[in-house]
Amino acid sequence: MRTIIQALSLLLFSIFFVLATYKLPNWLPADIYLRLDPLLGLNAVFAAREIISRALWALVTIGATLVIGRFFCAYVCPMGASIDFLDLLFFRKKKRQGLKAQASLRKVKYFLLIIFIMAALTGLSLAFLMDPMALLTRFYTFFIYPLAITLINLILDWLRPLFQALGWVNLSHLHYFQSLYYMTAITLLIFGGIIILNRLVPRFWCRYLCPLGAFLSLISPLGLFKRRVNEDCNECLKCQKACPMGAVAEDPRGTHRPECIQCRTCAKVCPQNAITFPASLSLGGEYSKVDFSRRGFVYSLAGGLAVGFVATQSPFTLKQSKHQLIRPPGAIPETEFLRTCIRCGECMKSCLTNTLQPCLWESGFSGLWTPKMDSRLAPCDQNCYVCGKVCPTQAIRSLSLEEKTHAKVGTAVLKKEMCLVWAQNKICLICDEICPYNAIVFRPVEGYRRPVVIASKCNGCGFCEQRCPVKGESAIVVVPNGEIRLKEGSYVKEAKKLQLEFKPDPGDDKFILEESGFKIEEKKKKEKNIFPEEKPQPKKPKGFL
Amino acid sequence: MSRHNRMITRRKFLKTAAAGMALGLVGSPSFSVAKEEYDLAVISGEPIAATRKALEALGGISRFVKKGQRVVLKPNMSFSRTPEFATTTHPLVVATVAQACIEAGAQQVLVLDHTLQRAELCLERTGIRDACKNIPGVHVLALQERKFFREIKIPQGKVLERVEVIKEVLDNSVLINIPIAKSHSATGVSIGMKGLMGLIWDRESFHSQYNINQAIADLATVIKPQLTILDATRVLTSGGPGGPGEVKKPNLIVAGIDPVAVDSYGVSVAPWYGQNFKGRQVEHLLVSHQRGLGKIDVEQLKIFKEKA
Repeated sequence: MRTIIQALSLLLFSIFFVLATYKLPNWLPADIYLRLDPLLGLNAVFAAREIISRALWALVTIGATLVIGRFFCAYVCPMGASIDFLDLLFFRKKKRQGLKAQASLRKVKYFLLIIFIMAALTGLSLAFLMDPMALLTRFYTFFIYPLAITLINLILDWLRPLFQALGWVNLSHLHYFQSLYYMTAITLLIFGGIIILNRLVPRFWCRYLCPLGAFLSLISPLGLFKRRVNEDCNECLKCQKACPMGAVAEDPRGTHRPECIQCRTCAKVCPQNAITFPASLSLGGEYSKVDFSRRGFVYSLAGGLAVGFVATQSPFTLKQSKHQLIRPPGAIPETEFLRTCIRCGECMKSCLTNTLQPCLWESGFSGLWTPKMDSRLAPCDQNCYVCGKVCPTQAIRSLSLEEKTHAKVGTAVLKKEMCLVWAQNKICLICDEICPYNAIVFRPVEGYRRPVVIASKCNGCGFCEQRCPVKGESAIVVVPNGEIRLKEGSYVKEAKKLQLEFKPDPGDDKFILEESGFKIEEKKKKEKNIFPEEKPQPKKPKGFL
Repeated sequence: MSRHNRMITRRKFLKTAAAGMALGLVGSPSFSVAKEEYDLAVISGEPIAATRKALEALGGISRFVKKGQRVVLKPNMSFSRTPEFATTTHPLVVATVAQACIEAGAQQVLVLDHTLQRAELCLERTGIRDACKNIPGVHVLALQERKFFREIKIPQGKVLERVEVIKEVLDNSVLINIPIAKSHSATGVSIGMKGLMGLIWDRESFHSQYNINQAIADLATVIKPQLTILDATRVLTSGGPGGPGEVKKPNLIVAGIDPVAVDSYGVSVAPWYGQNFKGRQVEHLLVSHQRGLGKIDVEQLKIFKEKA
């Protein structure tokens, strides 16, 4: 029963994950698991120092835990489900002795929780490092998802001859876009580490490390359902061995209540059927205290503050003062952004073009896994606005398409010494061709027609940078200059105020032609020798003789 | 719009199917031979009617598509923009040609392009996939993977020695180019000949490595569409090829066998950047003409003009 609910929850999590694409309907909260996570919510609310409406969903989890107890870990948590299922797969037959330092190890998760909360109070978002929901979403985004695409394409390639033989045209041309992410390996290592720890004891992560579990156990003592052992118990200790959380005390009649996740494994294995989980309002009991030492408590308080402080110091704040990253459109101002973002990777998963990539050290310790645009890799598509839609803390604001279009992320800058047209007189126009906003025009300069960026029309989408045929670094790059980052209010209004315009309009090629007194001489030129370079013809549009 | 379109197409379909059957029964090949004399058919009117009329004027689609053949249609669907931007071929023109091919007994019609923007968005927003989805045997595909391309040599190439082309174009016997007329900031205009760049893998080297005008002519020596149907219902006269730009509406369909002639006529249908040009003034057309790939002077062409 429990396994089925767990599997369903994991499936639901996966479905929401898969649905997070540019086609996501507005009413569907693909990030619901992340919203329901009270640790991420607290972390963002404390760090950003304001109420975040989507984080209020976490109250559902808190309320349910208050009433029922710490059921979340056993039934809902997709990370717990993954751990359980992979445990079955890898370690089912392994003998595990258990750890002697169990009691002291258990405290670790509470210390971690305190460290994360303290760090959040200093303005450092840190819980993402170990929050199970953020961890798993990241793992899905950076590993499972690209791997799945690779496998699917591989299978399609294998079957292609068959499809062709059968004349199935669409299938024989089917190929899914392969997303790639910069931090796949590191994300895999972390997740792999969590699974390998199960070799020592089942649910090592949940028992000793998970800060969300710690939080839920702290608010669970009021919970209705509690383990009770009746007189039939013959102290066979089967329940103690079977308990995945190590919550059965030395005396099997006792329960470490904060550790119990109500999975009822003990009840199932009990040969005497002596274990029940009746609804009871009783509080306390021998083993019901969360026993972290006062010293440990003070240390972790200090530790959280220290991390929060250190994270703002060099060398942990590389380039933060004049940050150089292009953030997704709708990202709130950088300081608030770093505080609010919970690094779940949902925006990067849903990104249509794959331009959103996780930061490693580009903006220091406090910017780990935050999304940045890599315009050389891919542009931001003008029809897509999904990243804000799926952001569970609204570090990227959910905007309408028009608002998103005006959320300028930067400005393209042309490097003349690298540009094929400026430096080598070649006939290249790719940046102009691809620019969706007509922000690049050709103007007569010193006898040649050269591409020029009109900054007020460029919203930094990066199509030009991605498409520039210059090898290596692009000759036209998007820099954060001119970006609009608003915590609230309308980007359209702001853009209007700044006299920016990203609307389709006739383009000013024509205007320039008229201005330069464009006239076509009637005599036909019949030059046959064509050089790869452009001849000086400032008065004619390219391609016309 | 699509429902409206479907109704018309069905009625048209029945009519034409009946007509086709009647024709087949009577069996008068002289009818089509008589019309072969025209170099170009220039028909004004609504997209569907004008396209049908243009095909008819050139002797019917069955002159180009035989029973059981496989056909590749090459519209411009490179940009994820809706039809009113005039950066992509009108979906109804594409659908009409596709339908005609199927009616002529084509085994399969592939509508292909190597899109500049993300494939599924282009298919979605240009409306071409939608317009063709109810015609059995027609598949609209945007290919962005190298594995769907194959390298061929260009024996007469001046700047290009080899080029990778979508396999189906090489394997199929019939290629019909269905471009739109657009301004283009490197080649002046982008019509049929420039549009064929949508069938190759490495489009970017045309801009960075080679003289694009010669490269287009080189390409035209190996990729030879049997028929070019220019959708000049709307023309993007500035801001091309990606738009947004000024859209004029000549409401014309220009069809012909000679790719240079069709493009050359296409240059004359609208003023570019506010100025009138002739085919000869477009470098890649002139180069192609000089290399013997087609006629360029519109005055010397036999043109069938009519309203649909």
